[in-house]
Amino acid sequence: MSKKRQSLATLDRRTFVKAGGVAALSQVAAPFIISARGETALKIGVDEPLTGTYAAPGKNEVLGCQLAVDELNAKNGILGRKVEMLTEDSTSGDAGTAVQKARKLIERDNVNLLVGNVNSALSQAMAQVSNEKGIMHIVPGGHTDPITGADCKWNVFRVCNTTRMEANAVCGLLFKTYGKKWHFITPDYAFGHTLYQGCEADLKKLGGTVTGNELTPLGTTDFSAYLIKARAANPDVLVVLVQGNDMVNCLKQISQFGIDKQIHVAGTQQELESVEAMPPEARVGVWMFEWYWKQASGTPGLDAFIATVRKHTGGKVPTARNWFGYVTVHAYALACEKAKSIEGKAVAKALGGLELPPEVKLQPNKVYFRGGDHQLMLSAFIGELLQKGDGDPENLFKVNSIVSGDSIAPTVEETGCKMQMPA
Amino acid sequence: MTADQRKHLAVLAAIWAALLFAPYWMPFFGGYTALGSRVLVLGLGAMSVNFLLGFTGVLSFGHAAWFGLGAYACGLTLKHIALSTPLGLLAGTLVGGVAGALLGALLVRRRGIYFAMVTIAFGQVFYYIAFQWLSLTGGDDGLRGFARQPLDFGLFQIDLLHNDIYFYYFVLFCFAVAVGLMAFILGSPFGRTMIAIRENERRARFLGIPVELHIWIAFALSCFFMAFAGSLYALVNNFADPRMLHYSLSGDFVIMAVMGGMRTFWGPLLGAIVFVVLQDYISSVTVNWMSFIGLLIVLIVLFFPRGFLGMLRPRRTA
Repeated sequence: MSKKRQSLATLDRRTFVKAGGVAALSQVAAPFIISARGETALKIGVDEPLTGTYAAPGKNEVLGCQLAVDELNAKNGILGRKVEMLTEDSTSGDAGTAVQKARKLIERDNVNLLVGNVNSALSQAMAQVSNEKGIMHIVPGGHTDPITGADCKWNVFRVCNTTRMEANAVCGLLFKTYGKKWHFITPDYAFGHTLYQGCEADLKKLGGTVTGNELTPLGTTDFSAYLIKARAANPDVLVVLVQGNDMVNCLKQISQFGIDKQIHVAGTQQELESVEAMPPEARVGVWMFEWYWKQASGTPGLDAFIATVRKHTGGKVPTARNWFGYVTVHAYALACEKAKSIEGKAVAKALGGLELPPEVKLQPNKVYFRGGDHQLMLSAFIGELLQKGDGDPENLFKVNSIVSGDSIAPTVEETGCKMQMPA
Repeated sequence: MTADQRKHLAVLAAIWAALLFAPYWMPFFGGYTALGSRVLVLGLGAMSVNFLLGFTGVLSFGHAAWFGLGAYACGLTLKHIALSTPLGLLAGTLVGGVAGALLGALLVRRRGIYFAMVTIAFGQVFYYIAFQWLSLTGGDDGLRGFARQPLDFGLFQIDLLHNDIYFYYFVLFCFAVAVGLMAFILGSPFGRTMIAIRENERRARFLGIPVELHIWIAFALSCFFMAFAGSLYALVNNFADPRMLHYSLSGDFVIMAVMGGMRTFWGPLLGAIVFVVLQDYISSVTVNWMSFIGLLIVLIVLFFPRGFLGMLRPRRTA
């Protein structure tokens, strides 16, 4: 009994001393933190894939953001405040990690703008976090429709195309050039699902048929089973919707199997990162780029942008992903200047309807954020892949036409977006 | 005896004091409240794995399945059935725990590597179900569209969603209840038989202990704890995705338990702290953070096979 009492007494004393110590410490802590807040720069938190199948596009979007941040800091920052950029690796397909990193950027680092992600599913998951916290969020490169459609949010904007816009941009041309029986290889997550739906709808409208749809998990390296099934279905066109390293692996295997000799190979979205990683014989088909560096001379600001990117990448030309990141940060800065505020709701209002100036849009057509669904109306560059660089080793795409975003985008009503600003 | 007890109580007091005041001292070391909540939840998960691994001597490599089932059940309850955080937790714990208990009955006759293999297989079954059942779970995109709800006490409400510190204390309360229950079970005669089975299964059998039944009960209990941790994790992120059921997460829990000291009660929590905090810090600096964790594990297994806490223990327990 006495033993027990003694030990309880020890517990009390120790707890008391420790608790007292910690409580004393916390007294010092609170003012320390608050004093630090006033001096902080304006923070942009970038949560993008730096590892895995989307590492290349992810890093390029980060570089684009960084270039814009450098340009802003060289002038007046944003509203006279310096801009600081924090980067986190979201991984390519692990939504849990992306959510965690988004929370870290918002809760620990108090970022003013959240940027991300290449992966559609991760973008959607992050949008839920940014919306819960009421933080401005720009999605540079996640394409799935609901982000600026059924799931649109007052604080979320998107730079890249929707999957529906991508489908609308090329399906007509594919149908006309290659034929009406299509077989799909689709990544099994949000992006693939909505892109497939878009293509299927367009194809049905044109009077074509789908011979099959192979759903492949993100990060698939061996496509042989899917390709054998696709070949057996004997379609006119094999439409490849997978992206990143998955696209590289898939097209490599297509050319190894010689499928491109029997069936036309094409797709919707294609990227310079993937094309450069492919062997020349795998560079086949009709595709769309969301931005392309080789344009008619005289496009304002384009040469300077190419030169800056070349300087940072050891001579490589800018890709669409560089441009997405670049536009993301500049659009946010322009909206802040227009609103004369960094308060979320004011910035969101200013960004809706904002038209990009020539030195940011870097292309001929009008480029602007639609106020109704917060989707950027950007052009689609439609053309064919080249096996060998034309003029420049990195000019691997022949642009046939540049179609304005307005002409391929569904209307705001059709997207299903009902934008609601918070009270 | 007294000195030992006194030391034990002092350690306990220190642990609880540190946990209780975590939101106030963590910012000094670059921590933040949400990180604290995550450490507690994953720590509870690692302790649940250790309940089986360290105290019954049975290695499950599929425990993430119960963790993830708990998370999905909790999320789906909040999304479709009722806007109540406690109900979500209850549903998550029951679904994950009952699934674990049922499948556990098929497992108890296997031992060692065979047991571990079958647990991986069962775990992956649930992973693929979550991945493929698009309409219910959202597939690879994960389950969104639910959020933790305020605790309603009639007279007043506690806002768990917008106040991180309230939520931390809510998680700490849940953690304390679960850990208290775990300690109570381990201190009971049943807990003693678990250790007897770990030490010498044949001898335990000759003593008349129904070994299979006891392993099954231990497995089922551990699944309930795990599912509880999983439900809490769904609330931490307001999100669930199939990777929460994947065997690589089961591996992470085993790593936390082994790193912290798998025969000690608090070891897995320490392992979880090291694992989660290292991941949080290093992954901001370099994308190769896994290499550093890997290096640490190699060093620990080579030089301190009993983990952090194991090496602090006096030799007499060796």
